[in-house]
Amino acid sequence: MPDRTEAYESAGAGWRPAPFLLALPSLAVLVGLGFIPLALIATWSFWSFDFDTYWIKPAWSLASYAALLENGRATVFLRSAGLAALTATASTLLAVPAATAVGLLTGPRRAALLLALFTIPFFTSGLIRAFAWRLMLGRNGVINNALMSLGIVQAPVEWLLFSDFAVVLGMVAAFLPFAIIPIVLAFARIDHSVIRASQDLGAGFWTMLSTIVLPLVLPGIVAGFLFVFVVAIGTSMEVQLLGGAGASSISIMIDDVLRVANFPLAFAIATVVVTLLILLIIVAGRVLRPSRLFESLGI
Amino acid sequence: MSFDSIVTGHTSGGRLLFTIITALCLTIIYAPVMYLLLASLNPDAQLGLVAPGRYSLTWYFALLEDRRLAGALEESLLVGLATAALATPIGLSAALAYRQMRGMRGIFFLVILSAMFVPGTIEGLGLSATLRVVGLTPSWVTITIGHLLWTLPFAAVVSLIGLSAIKPSAIAAARDLGAGPMRAFIDITLPLMRANLVSSFVFAFLLSLNEHARAYYLVGRQNTLPLHMFGAMNSGASSTIYAFSSAVIIISVAIVGLGFAGLAGQRSEGRDEREPRRAD
Repeated sequence: MPDRTEAYESAGAGWRPAPFLLALPSLAVLVGLGFIPLALIATWSFWSFDFDTYWIKPAWSLASYAALLENGRATVFLRSAGLAALTATASTLLAVPAATAVGLLTGPRRAALLLALFTIPFFTSGLIRAFAWRLMLGRNGVINNALMSLGIVQAPVEWLLFSDFAVVLGMVAAFLPFAIIPIVLAFARIDHSVIRASQDLGAGFWTMLSTIVLPLVLPGIVAGFLFVFVVAIGTSMEVQLLGGAGASSISIMIDDVLRVANFPLAFAIATVVVTLLILLIIVAGRVLRPSRLFESLGI
Repeated sequence: MSFDSIVTGHTSGGRLLFTIITALCLTIIYAPVMYLLLASLNPDAQLGLVAPGRYSLTWYFALLEDRRLAGALEESLLVGLATAALATPIGLSAALAYRQMRGMRGIFFLVILSAMFVPGTIEGLGLSATLRVVGLTPSWVTITIGHLLWTLPFAAVVSLIGLSAIKPSAIAAARDLGAGPMRAFIDITLPLMRANLVSSFVFAFLLSLNEHARAYYLVGRQNTLPLHMFGAMNSGASSTIYAFSSAVIIISVAIVGLGFAGLAGQRSEGRDEREPRRAD
């Protein structure tokens, strides 16, 4: 709608100093507190531990990166990525139908209510929600009690808690909204006449869904998958509260390394993760341009 | 405005199946929290549900005695309010900048969102190492710095949504009537943005209140609420943690409800009520 944009540009948002000035505070925060610390720890990951100051000294070394491959650290990386991928897959499988229900099958009022219900947990404590799962999944928890009183099992199911199952379940419950919301935003961009046209031409619901709707919301699906994957690979509380004995994650590994003050190694782990996430986001952005999703918010 | 869904006809079982899956999603999200709320009303030392007749607020009253909890609550309120007070105007400023940009829009938006994609542990680690070199002693200030970085993208997006909904003609009219740009901003833009600014503040506050990973690395001597709670959860200690977790959830949901109500009830004169723009 060029007319609107033009009108806006000419009217401005009222007060209009140079956009650079307005952008300055946020850029200072994001660059100064976000990018620069990450660049610094990436640099420091090539330094060495200093026994005198109990900190680091500028003696360049690749020792930390060699240490990444020791003590099963590579396995922790792979396991974290695997659990995050599993979480993202399960979340996406639930999110596509749920977002379709919100975006296609309910009226605007109920859709707004559902969207609010899917957004609210985001503003509540993930820690408390993981803790609540621990109460439900335990040996004497409500789920085991129900299974036993229904006669489905004779003894408490042990793998419900302190297992990969519990971790993935906790993460799906925590991050499901991240998968649903991008798809709902993608639905908002679909021209309804396309759907009506397909139905007028005799397409059934499933044909319309698979040939018209799903291809149109695919960028939202991929963005949601990535959101969940990225958040799940970086989280630690689900693993700490719900994981089995000896369960680790990248965050826990960083914490363990810091306990023995091995700062360069902690920085190296962080640098590898950030580098991989940046690559992932660049590739996904190139292929699918998920940033276009925000257009449906009118931004 | 129509109140029907987009697909109205026969769906070959699709509607039923998708409704069931939606209900399943909501169950996974809300059932554990509901269970926690009910368990917190159990007056016994043991965990579990009791008959509604025996519901009691015993553990909630026990909270009032907890000194360490009060300290953590105070610290979290301080950090949350400071974070929200910084993130809201900076987010608004970023949104105004975005609206006036031409070529750099895409990159600027990506930079704004970038902080959402970095794991909290790593952001906390990087900031704590950097602040250590700068010589800043860990305290509520360092946590606020970390939380500002965490909440700014959300504050900016909420402001952007509000700004995009303002009718350009409202501002043009003010300018035609002789208002200077600053006058038009203060008298037209800001009042129309009020609901979004309140929501932006509320969301930033809540995100800060419940943030754990960054605070873990940036905390000084006084724990914040999530750090205190994490300790209590793992020490397997008293039942007050159920009551306390429940209280935090109830307060969070109540506040976020206010935030949503503000956003939903913002339809007023001068707002653009057209359909959201589509990408053509």
